[in-house]
Formats: sequence, C-alpha cells, structure tokens
Amino acid sequence: MLPLAWKDDLTTFLPEEQVKIDGQTHPLGNGGHVTVYPQTEAEISAVLRYANSHGKKVCIVGGGTKRGFGGQMECADILLSLANYSGIVEHAAADMTVTVKSGTVFGQLQDYLAEYRQKVALDPAWPQYATIGGVIAANDSGPKRLGYGSARDSVIGLRTVYPDGTVIRSGGKVVKNVAGYDMNKLFIGAMGTLGVLSEITLKLRPLPKYESLVLLSFPSGNLEEVRSFAVQFLDSMMEPVCFELLSPSLSERLIGKRAYTLMIAFEDVESAVHYQEDYVQRLRPSHTTIRILPQEEAKSFWQTFYTIGPNGAAPHEPAGNEVEAAVKIGVVNLNVISIIRESELLEDCCHVHMEAHGALGHGLCQVYLKGSEESIITAIEQLRAAATSLGGYAIVKHLPFALRTRVNVWGEKPSYFFLLEGIKRKIDPKQTLNHQRFVGGI
Amino acid sequence: MRKTAIQTKDPHIQALARIVGGEKSILYKKEDLIAYDCDGFTVHRHLPKAVVFPKNTEEVAAIVKYCHDHDLPFLARGAGTGLSGGAIPLNGEVVISLTRMKRLLHVDLENRRAVVEPGFVNLKLTNSIADRGYYYAPDPSSQYCCTIGGNVAENAGGAHCLKYGVTTNHILGLEVVLPNGEIIEIGENGIPDPPGYDLLGLLTGSEGTLGIVTKITVRILKNPEAKQTVLAYFDRVEDASQAVSDIISAGMVPAALEMMDQTAIEGVEAAAFPVGHPKDIEALLLIEVDGISAGISEQINEILHICKKRNVREVKVAQSEEERARWWANRKTGFSAMGAISPDYLVQDGVIPRNKLPEVLKNIRAISKKYGLRIANIFHAGDGNLHPLVLFDARKPGETERALAAGSECLQVCAAVGGSITGEHGVGIEKKEEMRFIFSDEEIVAQTDIRDVFNPKNLLNAGKLFPTPGRCVEMKQVASSIK
Repeated sequence: MLPLAWKDDLTTFLPEEQVKIDGQTHPLGNGGHVTVYPQTEAEISAVLRYANSHGKKVCIVGGGTKRGFGGQMECADILLSLANYSGIVEHAAADMTVTVKSGTVFGQLQDYLAEYRQKVALDPAWPQYATIGGVIAANDSGPKRLGYGSARDSVIGLRTVYPDGTVIRSGGKVVKNVAGYDMNKLFIGAMGTLGVLSEITLKLRPLPKYESLVLLSFPSGNLEEVRSFAVQFLDSMMEPVCFELLSPSLSERLIGKRAYTLMIAFEDVESAVHYQEDYVQRLRPSHTTIRILPQEEAKSFWQTFYTIGPNGAAPHEPAGNEVEAAVKIGVVNLNVISIIRESELLEDCCHVHMEAHGALGHGLCQVYLKGSEESIITAIEQLRAAATSLGGYAIVKHLPFALRTRVNVWGEKPSYFFLLEGIKRKIDPKQTLNHQRFVGGI
Repeated sequence: MRKTAIQTKDPHIQALARIVGGEKSILYKKEDLIAYDCDGFTVHRHLPKAVVFPKNTEEVAAIVKYCHDHDLPFLARGAGTGLSGGAIPLNGEVVISLTRMKRLLHVDLENRRAVVEPGFVNLKLTNSIADRGYYYAPDPSSQYCCTIGGNVAENAGGAHCLKYGVTTNHILGLEVVLPNGEIIEIGENGIPDPPGYDLLGLLTGSEGTLGIVTKITVRILKNPEAKQTVLAYFDRVEDASQAVSDIISAGMVPAALEMMDQTAIEGVEAAAFPVGHPKDIEALLLIEVDGISAGISEQINEILHICKKRNVREVKVAQSEEERARWWANRKTGFSAMGAISPDYLVQDGVIPRNKLPEVLKNIRAISKKYGLRIANIFHAGDGNLHPLVLFDARKPGETERALAAGSECLQVCAAVGGSITGEHGVGIEKKEEMRFIFSDEEIVAQTDIRDVFNPKNLLNAGKLFPTPGRCVEMKQVASSIK
C-alpha cells in the first residue's frame, strides 16, 4: 500500500464519505489512488486547487465508458468521479435549451427531455452509462450525426473548472452567440486535459413526429454498386439523418444478414418519411433486399446499435487472452467504402474479428476489433495505414491499458502541435489534468 | 509587367511593395488610404499605414513575416462589410486586403465540399453550384459582396441559420498564416474531428486576431426539395412574439423566422424594395419552411393556424418564387433601408432567450424614449437575435454619442435577461467594453491567454474584441444596476 497520508488533506474540504481509497488498478488504466466524489462545483474547484498546488495528478471519470480511450497513466493520484454530480440545472423548454451537470447520465437526460418532446441532438454510444460530460469531453457522436451535427453544433455554453480551481464560463444560454472567442470549442473533445466540465448548456431539437430506418442490403458484395447507389441517393433532395454503411460482419450481428448494408434513417412528419422510403425503393438495384423499421422498431434497433462497441464501464471478461478495441477513422466521405472494405480484408489476414460502420455523408467510421493482443496491434496499424493512405486519420477509442503503451493512440502529431501544446501550457501548466491522455502526450 | 516606381522613401513600404510585386499591389498615399479607414462600422476611423494586395498564400506569409520581424501592426481585410469595426486599422496597421485572392479552387459535389480563397464572395459560391442543385448555407444579408474569409473571421450568420447553423457549422478545413508568418493547415482534406483541440472552431469567429485564413474548405448542401414562405401581419407585437414561441414549441424548425417592428417596416417600405406592408401594424413575421415537399403543407397549415390563434390581421403564403424573392429582398436590405427614413443609423446585435422578447422590446422602447432617438427592430426571432437600429443624425452635435449610448444600453438589456451582446456581427471595436456585461475579468483573461498562444506580440489586429483594462469597474456597475 502506498503511503497516502495526504488523503487526509482531502477530507478537510470534502466529507469523509466522498473520499475513497482505491487499492486496485483497472485493466483500462486511467484510475487514481484516491477516488473523490464531489457533489458541487465548489467541491470540484477545491479538489483541483488542492491537486494543482500539491503537484498531484488528476484523472477525470464520468460513467467510465471511455476509460479505455487514451491515457498513459495506469493510476493517477486522484480519480475525480463526477458520478455524484448530476441533475438538470435549468430546462428552458420554450427556448429549447437545457443546462445540466456534467455527471448526468446521457440516457436519463434524454428520458427527461422526451416528456417535453425534446432531445439533445446527439446519439452517443452506451447512453445508459455515458455521462453528458464524458460525451462532450470525448466528442462522441453517433450515426445520426449526419442529420444533427456533433457536440460542437449542440453545445452553446459551458462552465469549466480550470486546474487552479477557477470557474470559467464560455458561450452562454442563447443559441446564437459570437461574443469573444468560441471557447466552448476548445473544451469539446479535449479529453479533460484543459478543465473539468461542470455545467453544460445545450440547444435542443424537437423529437421527430415520425421516424423510420431503412436497411438496404447488397448481397452481391459489389461495392461499386453500393457506391453508385450512394452517389445517386446523396445527390437527391432526400434528407436522411443517417446514411451509414455496415460491414457484412456487423450486418450479420444486427440483422442476421451477412452483406454490405446501408442504414438510412429518416425523421420528419410521417408523410415526408414515407415519401423518402418510397424514393429508396424506386432507386435501389433490383437484387438488393430492403427492410423498413417503422417507429418503435427503429427506436429499439437504435438502442441495440448504441451498445455494439466496447464499454469501458462494463468490460466483458474476454475469453482466453482475447482483447477488445475500437478505432475511429476519419476519411473523405465516400472513402468510407474503402475503409469498410479494408476492415473486411484485415479480418482474414490479421485473424481478428472486426465489425465496422461508416458514414458516407461525413466520412467518420468506427471499427470494433476482438482478437489476441498481437493481432489487435497489427490490425490497428494496418487500419491506420489504410486511413492515412487516403489522407485521413485513425485514433484508438478503446484499448486495454497494457496495449496503449505499445500503440500510438492518437497517431502522428499534427504539424501545428506547438499550438496545442501552447494552449495546454497556458491553461494547465503543471499538467495536473488527465496528463498524457491526449494527442502527442498532452 | 512594367513596375511603376514607388514614390516614397519609407523602407517598409518599399519592402512590402517588393513582396507583392510592385506599385499595382500596394496603396500608401493618403488619398488612396482613406477608403480603408473604416469598414461597415463607420463611427471610428483611422488611416492604415499601407494596404497590400497579395495574390497567394506565400505573399500573405511573406508580408506577415515582414511585419512580425519589424514590429509593424497588421490586419486582414475582406470586403469591409463588417459591422463592428474588426477591419479598422486602429493602430495604423498594414492592411492585408484579400480581395485578389478570390478563386474558387475546387468543388467536390460527391463529397459535399468546396475549397475557396478568402476573398471569394459568399453568394458566388452558391451561384457556382446552383445549376447542380447545391448551395452554401450561411447567408448574411451582405452575401452579395461579403467574402467567405471575412465570414470565417466573424463567424457570420444570416437569416437561414435558425435551421442550418452559422459559419462555424460549415467550415471543414482552413489554411492559416499565423502571426509570425508560418503557414498551417487544419482539417486536412476537410475531414471532420481532426485529432487535437478544435482549432477550426476556435479560429472561426476570432475576428482576425489569431491568424489570417488563406484557404477555406466549406461544406455545401443540397437544395431543399421544397420551400414555402409565409408573411404574417400582427396588430400587436406581443401576439407576434407569442406566435414565434408557439411555432418553436410546436416542434417545428423553420428555415427562417424573422420579425420586423413598425419603425423597421416604415423604413423598408420607404426604401428600394417595398412590398406594400401595412404601416399601421406593430410587427410582421416572415417565416420560411423548407424540406421534403410531402411534409411542407402540413407545417404551413400549422403555422397559419398558430398565427390565427394569435390574432393575426392578415397572413399569406407566397404564391410564386418571384413573390418570395420580393419579400426576402425587402427583409435583407432592411438595414440600409433605414437610410430612407434617417440620415444615419447604428445597428446593434443582441441575443436573448426567445421567450424574453416582449420584455426586451418594452425596455428598448423605453431606451428610445430616454434618448429621444427612434429605434427600429429587425429580429431573427427564431434564434433570439435582435438587431435594434438606432436612428440618428450625425450632423447634430452630440447625437452620435447619444446613439452609441442607446445602442450600448440595448445590449445591457439583452445581457440582463441572460443573453449575449452579439449574435453574428462580432465584438470588434464597437462592443469591446460591453464584453464586461457578460464576462468576468478572469474569463476575459482566459481568452487573451489563448490569443497570446497564437499572437504573442499582439501585432495582428490589436485593440479589438477585448475591453481596455481599467474600465471594467464602471461597466460592471452599469451592468449590475439594471439587473
């Protein structure tokens, strides 16, 4: 046991029951010798002020779903858990904005808003575990990003606790605002390396009056045909909120059909949704198969879909020495087809199980891998090579701690890395927060 | 090309002239510089040291490096349509005009993107791709002449950003010349979420204080299949406001939802594009719905129903594209139309939570009375972005100052109800002191800290965006006195 005499310092500003010694390390790392559970913003400030002035390193955790996402520290001094910092601060229903504490579970927020027929226009993975703070800090987005944008399009205001304990507000509570720098953008996707998100203000969207999901499978396996259909469809005036290609392996798991499958979702008034379904029917090649999931069936499909990747909060005990990984790849829109194809080829040559999907309307793909440690590392390298050869990037969103030391989670540093480093140095000069969690060891 | 000799002994002018290739690409004589002493914000004026017209990124980088190495202040300028003074050379800057970098470099319809140089005019992009059914969404009212580089600097909005978002939601990549002359590229190939802090988001709307954008990759959109436009006349402004709230809470996201009050209507009807609005109504709403044709009529019917429920005097749907275009021309020239009823006007740009509209309009009427100046209101009602236009006559002694004070007080009202001091025009010179209404000293330092990372010598567009230290106390007192 490490000498943790300083643990008693924490109880001078936190109640005893909000401070816990955690003796065990976590297979995904990003832990802390002491876990603290602040319940107020003032307590978050106090923890950071203490850590920053005593040279302690702090890891931040919400629901823990992204615990395997980046990070070179197995165990920091303090793990700051936001699990007990939750709840809605203000819901201005008529203005369609909500302010929420960062530890609020995403799914609970959506359930609450649904009573007002409103929603946060994000659909991240593991909504019943992930917190809104984690979703924003990691910039997680889901298949409906095509229709609704990502965190940067929904967040309108933040209260962020800086490493020295100062609370910095950015943005505001109005949906349009250009006063000063758009500081919100700095904290979205910063992986908690600049500050602890305390309160988040989001603009909301109305729940759609009707929705459906069209699943269009191409049993021929001919990707030229997929491409040609996609190009024609995207050149039409249809307005899908999701237009993603599933790899045959993922399609098999989700709908029992081993074929390239397009997931095309519509959300609008009912007549407009049916009109678009008909459009797909008319445009699709004759030998494709189509399934249309209306309303509740679509909703239930999505709930399953959001749980297809690894969940850092509930890692399965994998069989033998098998490990799980997730990779996010960004390429130019239609090059998604090449990435999905590549994942299928790599499955055979790397001896890993691989499932992939990617958005032909914006170019982001997710690849989920299962296999032995060595084969996973090889497969990640191959995927990255494929992405970079197309001018894109690959980042590793989930990997056990032991393997993260062997893989460059974020890929090569960008040419303007000195600016990222400069920003980190200004805000967190002592590298107190989520040290080494982000690009280039920031 | 024959080069005319530079008629000055100023070594800096000579050096800059050499970088841009001679006399034809630089202005330095006083009579030539006067046109560059202000932008769309005309209250402050200052002559630049010179205006240079680079043709490419390398020339921009060389100019910037020269200025950096010789401690010469500098700034970038597009079409000069900015309304908050962002392009005014307060410190006698070298103005880098990007109007000759105006090429459309690349269009990729399949992947929904286009690459433009910063001097490319906003509307020209839509015009270049319209034949294939595509468009560029951000549509500031000045879109026929403003540049996309300027739009990035100011994070420009427009009437249709209610549904489609402002400039920042449409920028995929930027090539930037940093204040030391170094060239960087962010968002290579326009691929979203490049690993690292979101510098695209930070640079967009930084009002030309962090770097000079020399190439922009933007997202382009497919035209909606159908659109319909509704014009509704209300006897009472409260009814119009309530109709706006009802439309939003009915779960609709119109493409645009605009309001004009009685004074604004008087102005647009006296100007170049009158459409015959009645003069005795308190407010009109211009509402546009777009999307899949099969769903439009349902939404229009609901809007008509809401308007009737809220005592509309008259409500009509545009019967032709020509009629729709006339309604929009009338609205989009709304600011300049004030010239028809007032020698001068000052535009403000506050944002408020939508449901605070009746309260805020009441307070603005009180401000108008207090200062003895008429204030017209043109309002992006759907997103709460209010444009009070303070009408005044600069020839009358003291009236300009009164107009500025009235404008500032309108922003106090917006800040006091939880809003912002600017929704799309930027802070610039005009509203830098008003930043105190919404940000603490620490929050302003947090922002200038970021500026220091990019612009440590503060030679690029200095004196903008952030308040002058020392005035904070009095501004805060003003702000708290109205809460």
